Amino acid sequence: MEDTGQLLAHFFREHSGRMIASLARVFGIAQLDNILDAVQDTFETAVSHWRYHGMPADPPAWLLRVARNKLVNTIKRSARQVPLKDVHMAQVSTADGDPFFSIGDGTATDSQVQLLVACCHPALGERDRILITLHILCGFGVPELANALRMNNEAVKKALQRSKAALLRRNIQLDPQAAKRATRQSATVCTILYLMFNEGYKATRDEKGINTDLCYEAMRLAKLLCPIAPPSAEVNALLALMFFNAARFPARLMVYGDWIPLAEQDRTLWDRQLLAEGFHYLECAKQSDFAGKYYLEALIASLHCTAKYFEETDWGIILSLYRLLEDLEPSTLIQLNRLVAESYACGPFAVIAELEAITPDERPGTAFLLQMVKAHVYERIGSSEQANNAYSAALPLAQNPLDIKFIRKRMRAL
Amino acid sequence: MKEFLMLIREEANYGELSAEEMQACIEKHYHWVEELKKKGQYKEAQPLDAGGAYIKGRKKIVSDGPFLEGKECVSGYYILLATSLEEAVEIAKGNPDLDWDRTVEVREIMPMDEQ
Repeated sequence: MEDTGQLLAHFFREHSGRMIASLARVFGIAQLDNILDAVQDTFETAVSHWRYHGMPADPPAWLLRVARNKLVNTIKRSARQVPLKDVHMAQVSTADGDPFFSIGDGTATDSQVQLLVACCHPALGERDRILITLHILCGFGVPELANALRMNNEAVKKALQRSKAALLRRNIQLDPQAAKRATRQSATVCTILYLMFNEGYKATRDEKGINTDLCYEAMRLAKLLCPIAPPSAEVNALLALMFFNAARFPARLMVYGDWIPLAEQDRTLWDRQLLAEGFHYLECAKQSDFAGKYYLEALIASLHCTAKYFEETDWGIILSLYRLLEDLEPSTLIQLNRLVAESYACGPFAVIAELEAITPDERPGTAFLLQMVKAHVYERIGSSEQANNAYSAALPLAQNPLDIKFIRKRMRAL
Repeated sequence: MKEFLMLIREEANYGELSAEEMQACIEKHYHWVEELKKKGQYKEAQPLDAGGAYIKGRKKIVSDGPFLEGKECVSGYYILLATSLEEAVEIAKGNPDLDWDRTVEVREIMPMDEQ
């Protein structure tokens, strides 16, 4: 690494989580605030030094050493009267025979997983969990979080404070035994990572359309669960689903930023490597007989990904998978997806009566999607007027500039 | 070849740079310095700590420098090698610090043995 001076992509982001986890394991989660400060401070020091001197020989070790020293100094300064057992424990070390620095990847990952489980604890609200996870495990700063989740800085700060306080109250222990217990909670982690991914993928906020950062962080964190979790069908299925979706990013947007609907996507743009990885995880998930929500969704995505052309899509199977999904977890969103599949499997006329009878549930974006599906179906049967009405109804519900652009384009084409 | 001192001025705190931004900052600088080295335009560079003091006049009054939040201060320096001030300025224009809206000052170091 020192030869080329190249840091891996997202090096700081990734190491932020690793360092915080390692420090929290040695010094205790009670030091969370000091740890976060020390890590932030360490990055700033790195910016000063590396900018002028180039990268050190072993950047991860350099970062961890500097952060540890900064943390020890802070603890010493702020709590002289407190028994310094913890500090001593972390100090019985010389640079070489230092147990702290011999932390293998396994241990660092263990600690990160425990921290991840703690951040995704159901005691917190969904949004709070996404925020604190991105903050602690992915090094997202306040402005970055505010931008990604479309909140203002103050609201983000408050949410982080709330979540940190909750983390401290639970006083979790980061140790190998706890790591084993933590893996049993991978389901709650999956929920949050799934939401994080979708936040980046669908609820797309800015002109770029897809916040790939959020998607890739969700994928990276889900991968952390893999080697530790007992081969969990849910984790594998979730990863498969994420990889299938990520593979289609480049085709989903044109260079100048327009949504490209599935039917019109250039399938040669789909990322083969990501697809292959998706199929790998799908294979892993198949080993268990448990067909959960992510598994069904991943199967559907895999069917889209294996069809060479849109016309080749096996809508019959997709329809039956959506039916299973609907039984498992009924929602207007899944119903709408099922109706789209049905409109291709059985023809658009077959779904109109059900479409017209839908009252969307409270979930954000559902009302918008309902109008979009209606417009799409009416467009296909040649009812320009009804399609136009549905698009007009969708316009004020659109959250994203790309959605608005897309609707206007379709309306002009009617 | 003449030597030029290039001072970087910026706010003492780095604002709230995120992990990604900090990484981008380091990488840009690294590549820039590598380029300078290749062209033989780089002699040395050092960062300066944000803390420091002023000592003023005969009374030797010591005060903290203006190294506080929101105030610009010198955060580091480079010694560049160039044939003229114009060339040094052109080199300095490539400094990625400018992308973060920092200020760069270039001054020729006067040689000792001027003939």
